[in-house]
Amino acid sequence: MPDDGLVIENTSKLFASFAALQSVHLRIERGQFVLLAGANGAGKSTLLRLMAGISRPSSGRVLIDGKDPQRDATARSAIGFLSHHTLLYDDLSAEENLGFFARIYALKNPQQKIDEALKQVGLSSHRHRRLRTFSRGMRQRLALARATLHQPVILLLDEPFTGLDQPARTALSEQLCKLKQAGHTCIMVTHNLEEGAPLANRLVVLRKGCLCHDQAWEGSAADLSATCAPFWDGLR
Amino acid sequence: MSFFSLLVLLVFNFSFELGGAALHEIGPGVLWSAFVFACLLGLNRSFADERENHSLDALLMAPGDRGAIYLGKMTANLIFLLAVELICLPFFALFFNLSPGFFLLPLLGVLVLGSACLSAAGTLFAALSSTMRLRELLLPLLLLPVILPALISCVKATGLVLDNQFGTALYPYLKMLAVYAIVFVTLSLMLFEYAIEE
Repeated sequence: MPDDGLVIENTSKLFASFAALQSVHLRIERGQFVLLAGANGAGKSTLLRLMAGISRPSSGRVLIDGKDPQRDATARSAIGFLSHHTLLYDDLSAEENLGFFARIYALKNPQQKIDEALKQVGLSSHRHRRLRTFSRGMRQRLALARATLHQPVILLLDEPFTGLDQPARTALSEQLCKLKQAGHTCIMVTHNLEEGAPLANRLVVLRKGCLCHDQAWEGSAADLSATCAPFWDGLR
Repeated sequence: MSFFSLLVLLVFNFSFELGGAALHEIGPGVLWSAFVFACLLGLNRSFADERENHSLDALLMAPGDRGAIYLGKMTANLIFLLAVELICLPFFALFFNLSPGFFLLPLLGVLVLGSACLSAAGTLFAALSSTMRLRELLLPLLLLPVILPALISCVKATGLVLDNQFGTALYPYLKMLAVYAIVFVTLSLMLFEYAIEE
């Protein structure tokens, strides 16, 4: 089997005696747009954090192009992560925040990339405002700019539509669609099926920390809702 | 941090009626008590910005050695602590009727080494307690027993310097502080990524 893509091998994650994930085995190939569904507490965010290399599996392993993101820094640079939280600094301006992350990722032509990223998310005119003064939607847009600034090949999205108004949701959907067309691998956790269904080409459902459903996907939000319904009782 | 340290020095000054005679007996203890309290204040805040929006996650995902986060935080803590010490020293000299002299140079050496010890161990424990709910309470409980050997060496070395004993008596304490700092920086570089894990 080729090493390309994201591989989760019999991975479990324990918090004390609580098993947030149990023996999850998943292989995500390049260019796939995976919708990760499941009830609250099913282990979706935990799985994304393991994929991002932020958290360490209790057993099993996570590999990105054959490399462990915990040990290999280059594997981590392939990942962009958009979470519930912005992962940004409130006391820095939008431009300073992106500048900081551009330096961390040692980007070439950082100013040009920052300008492009701010333009893409429609925040060019707010570049000098501190993050503290931003609305929830503006913060989320800047968080997307941060997550995609280093042009990651794998984008992990944890409820990316949370707090966005309708125009911002449409803009985010369009941007994710562009990333999908450009061949980026996306793994998205969302309860917003209207936005998620048209983007996804694979559906993975978690239930009580176990992977219980995995299929290729093409369909509407209603179809998606009907497909996921039997697994929605997994609240822990 | 500076204000707190000055307040501690001031309170001790009025409590013990400090003067030339008390300098050698309680001066070093007073000085390092003020610095340790200030250091704890600073350490509690050292991961506050990262806690606010979980930006530590973004730092952990960065394509660099995670030990660099520790070294960056430790250096920042060290600089702040040294700044506090430099601000406090003139007031300490004022309260203890201390005249400037050659002892200032070795004293600065002790302060730098002592601060390196506090920052090296303190940053690791600040990272460890940053994800905990009672972090402000836990940090001193975890850190103070660990820094005790370094703190005793700091107090002893400062006492010797104020007594103008810069020779062989001072050397073991400086050596002890240097070894403590090196050991803790090395340990912390190895343990940091486990310490910040939730």
